[in-house]
Amino acid sequence: MDTEEKEDISREAPVQLEVDSISISFGGVQAIYNVSFQVRKGEIFSIIGPNGAGKTVTLNCISGIYKPDRGRIIFEGQDITKWPPYKRAEAGIARTFQKIELFSGMTVLDNIRLGRHVHLKSGLLSSSIYLGKTAREEVESRKFIEEEIIDLLEIEHIRNKVVGMLPYGLQKRVELARALALNPKLLLLDEPMAGLNLEEVEDMARFILDVNEEERWKVTCILVEHDMGVVMDISDRVTVLNFGQKIAEGRPSEVQQNPEVIRAYLGDVEDLYATRR
Amino acid sequence: MSWLPCGLYHEHYREDHAWWQTTFVKGKMLLLAIFAIVILPYLDLVAPDLGPYLLNIAVILLYTILAASGVQLLIGYCGQVTLGHAAYVAIGAYTCCLVLMHGPALAAMTNDPNPIVRTLAALFSLLMKAGLLYPAGIILAGLAAGLWCVIFGLPSAKVKGFYLIMTTIAGQWITVEFFITQYVSQIGGRQQAFTVLPEHFTIGPFTIDSDRKIYYLGLALVGLVVAVTANLLRSKPGRAWIAIRDNDIAAEAMGVNIVAYKLLAFFVAGAMGGLAGVYWLNFNYIISPEHFQWFWSLWWVGVILIGGVGSIQGTIFGSMFMVLVMEGLKALIVPLSGAFPELLDKFLFIKEALFGLAIALFLIYEPNGLAYRWWQLKNYFNLWPFSY
Ligand SMILES: Nc1ncnc2c1ncn2[C@@H]1O[C@H](COP(=O)(O)OP(=O)(O)OP(=O)(O)O)[C@@H](O)[C@H]1O
Ligand SMILES: [Mg+2]
Repeated sequence: MDTEEKEDISREAPVQLEVDSISISFGGVQAIYNVSFQVRKGEIFSIIGPNGAGKTVTLNCISGIYKPDRGRIIFEGQDITKWPPYKRAEAGIARTFQKIELFSGMTVLDNIRLGRHVHLKSGLLSSSIYLGKTAREEVESRKFIEEEIIDLLEIEHIRNKVVGMLPYGLQKRVELARALALNPKLLLLDEPMAGLNLEEVEDMARFILDVNEEERWKVTCILVEHDMGVVMDISDRVTVLNFGQKIAEGRPSEVQQNPEVIRAYLGDVEDLYATRR
Repeated sequence: MSWLPCGLYHEHYREDHAWWQTTFVKGKMLLLAIFAIVILPYLDLVAPDLGPYLLNIAVILLYTILAASGVQLLIGYCGQVTLGHAAYVAIGAYTCCLVLMHGPALAAMTNDPNPIVRTLAALFSLLMKAGLLYPAGIILAGLAAGLWCVIFGLPSAKVKGFYLIMTTIAGQWITVEFFITQYVSQIGGRQQAFTVLPEHFTIGPFTIDSDRKIYYLGLALVGLVVAVTANLLRSKPGRAWIAIRDNDIAAEAMGVNIVAYKLLAFFVAGAMGGLAGVYWLNFNYIISPEHFQWFWSLWWVGVILIGGVGSIQGTIFGSMFMVLVMEGLKALIVPLSGAFPELLDKFLFIKEALFGLAIALFLIYEPNGLAYRWWQLKNYFNLWPFSY
């Protein structure tokens, strides 16, 4: 990968997402406190931190599953802090989940088809008769899924399998496929590598780089991941959370050497490179 | 196109989206259609006793399918448990009934001082001249029942599971026991039951007054409801419903407006119930609140539990099972009642006990319902003799 070019992105591209001092607490637990960061168009922006640091909560605030108690979230110039999750999806924010959240009774194809939801226009009447518009739209959507997504993620062989029956690694991939079907501008990935074997991790990293770099996609990614090897390899910038607060941010090489980051990981430098849960 | 599904390849996506994908299945469906459209309704020409009897059972079966379709859509596809569907069937039946009873009077009010009434009168007299009063009643019944169902679906925006079940039960009591019994039934100041003469059920040149025509109307309505359900399920709304059922958090994160699609499901399910109500009115010519008691709401849930939750065939199989078992029970009890007269008095009790037993047995031994068994059987024969 060309690091020169990547550094350019993080300095010059316009800000796509701005998280402005958000805080949220659950009961007595302050899950995140006063967290701010900016993600630029085309970046792979990683959020790391020990277990319970507030990474998932941060993603949930961005995708709208949680509403922050304080602070603002601005996406492409619009304040989306109060928007419900479905509106954020319509605006182009897609995500995957740490604990896989697929529609387990549906086939792979139908799961991915749901990802096209915001792009389909058929209403109740047109869908009921399934002629003309709806039939055409379904064929187009199918074509997009087959040619752009199934092909890219190499899941041709399982397209008609019921998702619940698939091995874990493939389920993770289907979740990515479903998120991509939304044709997102911003993709939130919550531990896409967790529980994968080495080969699957490599595949997943390749897919993320593909959708980030290919002209066709150019998707901005926010990556939450414990696999430091991958994070340091593919990220443009990294933010570190600890006990709900941001303790460092910068290019991978800078963050790696930050003493506070090293302390957060129990002073165990090894951890930074080899965490694999 | 091949005859056997083991070597099935499509060259176009459109073929893969079709309902029936092989010539074999299309042939099967054709035979089924011939039986339902040509053979069954004219069976009385060769079997004067059996024919009308079977046709009667078929009419009950069609009514059950219509009523259970909405329940299937809500519970089976959208995951919203409803235990008050008889309310929407009742709303449909009463709406259509009122249109048929009072439409002619309204059409005559062309000199009313109120301009809105005058416009309505003009509209209704146009409808009557065209013989479209009944079709208008059918459409209004569907709309009214759908909207009524949306009202009781509103809590689904906030509550799930048990609490939603309680609201739908409340909907049943509020609608049938309170609203219809206390108010709607009092319209016209007569007794509780409303009757409509057979000659009022006219669609253009046809009057739906014979058993055979009633059967055909039911067939058309069921065909419509099944086709609409199947089409919705292979397009945007149906997928959104299933997504809500399977995982509402993920569905919303993928852009599904959960509240809107839940309410849409309530609307469609209620409208289907409304059509069932119209059909009930058409083959009984009389309605009263007792026809829409809570028991029936449970009965239709039983139909889909036995037939298979989340399956269109499940609705049909479940309806067949329930209707045929009840007919069998009648056939068994009527001759026996000579020897044990108390059996006839206890018929209702026996029916309800058996209904409970059937559901319990199915939940224990066949939780996926008859449709799943059918699917297994089909797969077995499709690949026969190498089905392992
Ligand atoms: N819905 C909730 N209710 C109560 N507490 C919550 C909730 N969601 C998160 N928390 C708490 O907020 C804190 C941050 O959780 P979060 O899931 O963001 O951690 P994380 O950084 O993603 O950790 P991990 O690496 O284990 O996924 C934790 O203490 C967690 O218990
Ligand atoms: Mg997490």
